[in-house]
Amino acid sequence: MNAHLPAPRCSVPAALLAIALGLTSCATVSSEKPPCCRELKHSAPIPEQSLYQLDSQWTSDQGRVIRLANLQGQPQVVAMVFTSCEFACPIIVNDMKRIAAGLPPEIRGRVNFTLISFDHERDTPEKLLAFRKRMGLPMAGWTLLRGEADDVRELAALLGVNYRKDARGQYAHSNLITLLNARGEIVAQESGLNIRTEAMVERIAAAAK
Amino acid sequence: MNPRTNNLVLAAAVMLAAAAMCAAATAVAAAPVAPAGMAIIAAGEHRPLFVLPNEPQTVPVAQFALDKLPVTNGEFLDFVRDNPRWRRSAVKRLFADANYLKHWAGDLEPGEAARTNQPVVWVSWFAAKAFAQWKGKRLPTVAEWEYAAAASPRRADGENDPEYQRALRHWYSMPAPAELSRVGAGLPNCFGVFDLHGLVWEWTSDFNSAIITGDARGDTGLDRQLFCGAGSAGAKDTGNFPAFMRYGFRSSLKAPYTVHNLGFRCAKDL
Repeated sequence: MNAHLPAPRCSVPAALLAIALGLTSCATVSSEKPPCCRELKHSAPIPEQSLYQLDSQWTSDQGRVIRLANLQGQPQVVAMVFTSCEFACPIIVNDMKRIAAGLPPEIRGRVNFTLISFDHERDTPEKLLAFRKRMGLPMAGWTLLRGEADDVRELAALLGVNYRKDARGQYAHSNLITLLNARGEIVAQESGLNIRTEAMVERIAAAAK
Repeated sequence: MNPRTNNLVLAAAVMLAAAAMCAAATAVAAAPVAPAGMAIIAAGEHRPLFVLPNEPQTVPVAQFALDKLPVTNGEFLDFVRDNPRWRRSAVKRLFADANYLKHWAGDLEPGEAARTNQPVVWVSWFAAKAFAQWKGKRLPTVAEWEYAAAASPRRADGENDPEYQRALRHWYSMPAPAELSRVGAGLPNCFGVFDLHGLVWEWTSDFNSAIITGDARGDTGLDRQLFCGAGSAGAKDTGNFPAFMRYGFRSSLKAPYTVHNLGFRCAKDL
């Protein structure tokens, strides 16, 4: 597994599950139906409210193609940003770094931070990688993803993130940090910029137990 | 008639452009053939209710096809027959709340409360999107929907048709009727599309594009405009209450929500 993806710390079965999910989904692609209507065949039950029900594909800054279900197994701190963002996104990322720094050492390695781009047109894996470097995000524990327009819209809808592209090609968007538990369910959200991190740190610690 | 001169000037300009547009949609021989059950919506411009600072006042809308009618219970039944994962008893809570198709008698039985020629309601954004994909179509964007819905029976710029605006305000001020009418009972607009107003609200693909809180670049003025009592001061068309209602309604939605008077129709690129 690539270093930027969450380490399968919890157990080997979790890693196998992730692989199995990927393979199972691939196996169903042969169906003539569009993605909306294929039967979901996950090898283990995913909770009804889990974002890991989504079948969409995402590409990391390492060029790795994944499904969100590949992120399961540890809590995920998720935000949507875009790399040419001049104002809010660096602050959101900084808030996430402050959250990471606030975690007790024994928890820190058991949580992953995921950034997903609004900008399906400009944010290539290369742009994401440059953003990772610019923001000083370590390879371990931080996942940067891009996806297609429809999939971005769908994920945003599930997270409760509103956004739209303005005339300059910049994105106006909600500033929201979401905590998913290990099974992909939303357990906490913080909106705004320069947030107070204490509450989120507590929720993460609880989710990582 | 609206006394503000800038509105008049704008109205006149839009009127000229739009009169040509709606005519073009029906009269030009080279116009593309509409897919069955769909109307061609000629290219034009949508004027959003709210624009960000320094943004142009209009958004171009490319020519597209739009279902003439909202999707009915009968059509949705075909969809769930063919796609078990979207049946009421099978749908995942992530994709539709607990009220999904609650007025149907059963998984494959609309029943008395959901006749086959009535618009389907109690459907989530995900279900609407899946139906559209199954049909080889998509949901219209807010800009496309609003642009098509601005047309009156006589003209593409229905916002400058006072009689039409009065009729719209009347509908938008009425509570939802206990029983929905069948689709296609009213007059089509000049594009040939029925029921954009007066029957049910409709999902759009980017319903979650309204920036009302915590916007990226801190345009809190926009927030204030929307939330405080003087809200309409910042919007372009203070007389367009139906547009405000639609904006507010969309802003209140989340993708898994289902509502008793919220349905959808599909669009398609040409």
